[in-house]
Amino acid sequence: MKKNVFILISLILVVSLLAGCQSKGPDKLVVAARGGSHVTAMEAVKEAFEKEHNVQVEILGLEAADLKQKISLDAKNKNGAYDVIMADDPWMPEFSEAGIFANLSSLGVTEDADFEASSLALGKHPYATGELYALPFSGNVQLFFYNKQLLDKHNYEVPQSWEEVLSMAKAIHEKDGVAGYVIRGQQGNPIVSDFLPIFWAYGGQVFDENWSAQIDSEAGKKALNTYMELLAVGVNYETTDIVSSLSTGQAAMALGWPSWFITGEEASAEYSPVPAQAADGAEAFATGMIGNWMMGVTANSKKPELAAEFLTFITSREIQKQMVEHGGVPTRKSAYLDSELSAKYKHFPVQLEALENSVARPRTPLWSRVEEALGTELSAAIAGTKTVGDALSTANQKINQIMK
Amino acid sequence: MNLDSKQRFQWAMLAPVIVLLTGLTVFPIGYTILNSFTDYYYLANESKQFVGFANYIKVIQDEVFLKAVWNTVKFMVLAVTAEIALGLGLAVLVESLKRGLKILRISFLLPSLLPPVTVALIWQMMLSNHNGIINHLLSYFGGGPFNFLMDIHMAFYAILFIDIWQWTPFAFLLIYAALQAVPKLQYDAAKVDGAGKGRIFLHITLPNIMPSLLMVVLLRTIDTFRLFDKVNILTGGGPANSTTTITQYIYRHGVYNLQIGYGAAASMIMVLLVLTFSIFYIKRSIGGNGHDLRY
Repeated sequence: MKKNVFILISLILVVSLLAGCQSKGPDKLVVAARGGSHVTAMEAVKEAFEKEHNVQVEILGLEAADLKQKISLDAKNKNGAYDVIMADDPWMPEFSEAGIFANLSSLGVTEDADFEASSLALGKHPYATGELYALPFSGNVQLFFYNKQLLDKHNYEVPQSWEEVLSMAKAIHEKDGVAGYVIRGQQGNPIVSDFLPIFWAYGGQVFDENWSAQIDSEAGKKALNTYMELLAVGVNYETTDIVSSLSTGQAAMALGWPSWFITGEEASAEYSPVPAQAADGAEAFATGMIGNWMMGVTANSKKPELAAEFLTFITSREIQKQMVEHGGVPTRKSAYLDSELSAKYKHFPVQLEALENSVARPRTPLWSRVEEALGTELSAAIAGTKTVGDALSTANQKINQIMK
Repeated sequence: MNLDSKQRFQWAMLAPVIVLLTGLTVFPIGYTILNSFTDYYYLANESKQFVGFANYIKVIQDEVFLKAVWNTVKFMVLAVTAEIALGLGLAVLVESLKRGLKILRISFLLPSLLPPVTVALIWQMMLSNHNGIINHLLSYFGGGPFNFLMDIHMAFYAILFIDIWQWTPFAFLLIYAALQAVPKLQYDAAKVDGAGKGRIFLHITLPNIMPSLLMVVLLRTIDTFRLFDKVNILTGGGPANSTTTITQYIYRHGVYNLQIGYGAAASMIMVLLVLTFSIFYIKRSIGGNGHDLRY
């Protein structure tokens, strides 16, 4: 009896295994994406594409550094594991030069003027003028966040210059005993992203036209002094604490990314574009750092045409509007200007304005190394282990060495 | 079985191990050494070039690497010393208890069962300057708030404390197991001879558990040399490189920036450093004189 049962189970197992091998399911498209709300938004809308093309879309949500590493390692394989990939915009020059992306024009994807121009420019190589390799998927841009109650209490308007930010921060700190300003001073990408908008407002540029570092400049010194003065009347927090301190009135002002403070229709702090001037009456510069997540087709995809169709689908007008409901951040002007959406999502006009006046980080394949060198020196300056002059001069030397 | 067939049988039995060792250890080490003499950048379109000792010279001249070495060695010495001392103290304490042994043993072990990433994230929340429970508790007693992870005078010691919290139980477990094996007769004889607690500990307990103690030192030395997760999550190596470690340096260059050649050179230097620190123990374990490390 036992023997018969054993034979029967074995037969069933073998038959199901063979059936499994023979059955041909729908094609599969693999998307390597930045984890979090991007994945949630894509998961919510992908079904229509799957049905229309009889394909299964598998979306892998990865942490940023992990995503970069996995995409890079897979790039050398003849048949790639991923068909569609997301990339943080500063990675674009490195990825495009390494041939990781397929040329979208050759796959029939055409430029669409509805994409916000500064976002679309990020997907071209060379920047803004070259061939199209990726489309903007998520239109992140830095904003200036503030606690309205604290500013109202002192009858302050939203500051337009960094000197104004500093004087307001000092007054709020002295009178209310709370942090006037919060810097995000963790070594590496955080401190660089937090400092550069101030540096740009002082008219600074990381490189001149010959890719020679310009950090050790008058603008650099003034900006870093302002940054340190802001810290003196404020605090140095990581993301979670920045959001909670501003939301609860324990801090007055900070720079941040919209997704930190704005969830759906609700915002836990007020916002405006990043102040564009160093001082009142001074020249205004574009200061809001753009931080779009781009999306492209891998050069080693086994199904490039299908992947390109998915890319067109997921970045289309209609789908972008749908994804907003699931945490998506549009990159199309039509989505920001949509009367229904902008009535619901009050931050859309400000975010579009910020995108239109945004600044991209320098478009060099070596940016991650430059950022690391600059971040180390800025961290040394605010920690007090180096003077402003020493930190900027060392940063300049290191960056020039990297760029050689 | 004649000599030839015996030898063939021996080789046949050894073959899977040799293949595995070659594939998983010998080849990767050889390949890493080879790459360390090249300018290998993973995404480069051109093939890698031989650059001699250029990577090694650049690594050694890099002040960030030197800082990383100093931080790692300082961390290793402090962490291993504290973990062994606390582990030994706890083991002796638990050994002397008559009740509640099981509960204490399990609760002591809990931190070492958690993955390092989870530990880092939990402590990040607890040490938060604004919302963290530690600062809330300190403010209750009139202290703080302290910016544990962003303050140059505190960040290193905050990570050190977390490591000690996580790995003292590991030291405790091995030392406690060794304590169980000390012959009770020796204690009885010492008591009959009128020896005090201090003398019994120094002349009976300590010599008996010495091999295990040295093993714990070796394992923790190697492990603390690899400190990475906590630093990468909690401080990113800052402020001002005060918490950067060798493994984080290697990760940043070799893994994140894909400079394989440069990362390989830094890795080889790290291997040499670990060997230098471990050679004393390895010599003892191979030589077998004095307290051998068999466990």
